[in-house]
Amino acid sequence: MTNESIWVYIQLNQDKIEPTSLQLLTKAKQIAEDKPVWAILLEPTTLTAEATIQQYGPDNILRLRDDRFAAATDEELADALEQVVTQYNPNSFLFPATTAGRSLAPRLQAKLQTGLTADCLDLAFDGDTLVQVKPTYGDNIMCDIICPDRRPQMATVRPNIFKAVRVPNSQTEVVSATFTFHPETTMTILNTTRLISQTASLSDAQTVIALGRGANQPKTIELARQLAAKMGGVVGVTRPLTDDPQFTHDQQIGQSGQTVAPDLLINLGISGAVQYTVGIQNANRIVSVNTDATAPIFADSDYGYVGDATEFLEGLLAQVK
Amino acid sequence: MKIVVCIKQVPSTNDVKIDPQTHNLVRSADGVINPFDKNAIEAALKLRDQTNGEVILLSMGPESYRESLLEGLAMGADSAYLLSSRALGGADTLATGYPLSQAIQKIGDVELVLFGRQSVDADTGQVGPIVAEYLNVPQVTFAEAIDLTEDHHLIGKRRLDAAEQEVEVELPAAVTVRSEMNQPRYATPRQIQKSFEKPLTVWTEQDLDLDPERIGLAGSPTQVTQVYAPAAAKKRVTMLTGTPEHAVQELLQSL
Ligand SMILES: Cc1cc2nc3c(=O)[nH]c(=O)nc-3n(C[C@H](O)[C@H](O)[C@H](O)COP(=O)(O)OP(=O)(O)OC[C@H]3O[C@@H](n4cnc5c(N)ncnc54)[C@H](O)[C@@H]3O)c2cc1C
Repeated sequence: MTNESIWVYIQLNQDKIEPTSLQLLTKAKQIAEDKPVWAILLEPTTLTAEATIQQYGPDNILRLRDDRFAAATDEELADALEQVVTQYNPNSFLFPATTAGRSLAPRLQAKLQTGLTADCLDLAFDGDTLVQVKPTYGDNIMCDIICPDRRPQMATVRPNIFKAVRVPNSQTEVVSATFTFHPETTMTILNTTRLISQTASLSDAQTVIALGRGANQPKTIELARQLAAKMGGVVGVTRPLTDDPQFTHDQQIGQSGQTVAPDLLINLGISGAVQYTVGIQNANRIVSVNTDATAPIFADSDYGYVGDATEFLEGLLAQVK
Repeated sequence: MKIVVCIKQVPSTNDVKIDPQTHNLVRSADGVINPFDKNAIEAALKLRDQTNGEVILLSMGPESYRESLLEGLAMGADSAYLLSSRALGGADTLATGYPLSQAIQKIGDVELVLFGRQSVDADTGQVGPIVAEYLNVPQVTFAEAIDLTEDHHLIGKRRLDAAEQEVEVELPAAVTVRSEMNQPRYATPRQIQKSFEKPLTVWTEQDLDLDPERIGLAGSPTQVTQVYAPAAAKKRVTMLTGTPEHAVQELLQSL
């Protein structure tokens, strides 16, 4: 049976749905034309993520239930997915380009002997062919990639490129899949500790105050924290600032850090290297402050101010209510 | 204990442009070891010194990749293999993972295969899990720390999306390494000199038991149909003026 459906992998981070999976449901529906969109959910019986998924309008939820999915290895997940892919033969299968998605998808790809495109920034259908837009060379070059002859067409997609839109679908049908859980005997998950993640808050934040090497003084950092607290926002940094032990890699914005999509982003003392600016393309309004009028960051900004980051912060703290 | 480190050679910078006339990629010709792969080499060298093992580098690519293999030998690896031939060229990740896994099987008795978490040019991170699948071994991706236990297991600490995970695997296994794991060592002049005497073997598809349908362009399910520069962000910046107080006032009025 060939089934022209588009599948989206619902990643669970313990008991939470990875936001990228919901973003992918919205994107899949936008590009689907008349192809049905399926959410593929591997969940322990203690969870019921279906109600939330249904809010994002898939035609079907294919549910694989087993308590061992609470802590399963990549191989165990890939093995279960292989079983359902060969039963239903979907047209395409989309994964979040998160660490979990980027670990699982290639393992499944090798089982299925099909193509997988990594870290896509856009997707579109040309007939039944999925055109996958993939950046290379640190986002300096884009490639269109297709997988013409094999199915499913697999892709991992970068977080926060698309917005998840709620369109509840009362017709969503939950289908229970038939499969066998095969435990991987050579691997044991000893423990999984949830991090009180700044990542989640940074990539979800509506206001981000970003600090660069021109705003790395203790006083400036303290003022930025105060401003973030006042505005209900979070602080992000460029890569050089992650050398400072008070910042973690989770707070880094950019190619090798997080992609942010806030309503308001304030860049302080940031030059605007391409490895940084690729992480801020989805910010709605960008304000940048830099002492150098020729700093490239201004080309990516809606508002710019040539001046000192600390003084500007003091002005903001005084005037923001 | 035999440890294989799969490495890739990447351009020394990512500053790549498209020639507007020919539409070819214009990139720097000199290659370096993919930075994350250096972390993998460093991890392998540390484990070798603990276990009296052997570190073998493996790469697939044109003859010019010798440079990176020599650099890895100069860091301290014991020997290197380069899979290189026309037939292997043009491979995507699937058609790269397959010959690599066959080579690892030919090397024989390999207990640990290490990779960098991803390459900085193509940025896929897919080859590690593909090789793990072909070898039918457990995978520990995005590892921040690895340790061997007395009873021949490996404990790995993985950094996931909103969690840290500790896993234990039985060897043989495959691990992809984050840069947080270590600081790669520099080659000493003595080591550089010695690197030229270490075995560097080139294998073609003839030397490996390969299915011709699964290598090179023919064995690659994906095709690149277009290569182009990203659309330039079109922002029109409004400059704020005057004292910082004045600029902030102006900003808050416009927002
Ligand atoms: C493979 C690779 C991946 C990378 N990934 C990332 C990434 O994910 N994220 C990232 O950020 N970087 C990344 N980088 C690094 C990136 O190329 C830049 O080096 C980095 O973004 C620069 O950070 P910066 O703007 O803070 O510092 P700088 O470039 O040093 O800029 C500091 C700016 O502050 C201004 N300034 C100085 N004093 C003041 C003041 N008092 N008030 C206001 N402005 C002032 C200066 O004019 C200057 O423009 C990556 C690099 C590579 C090679």
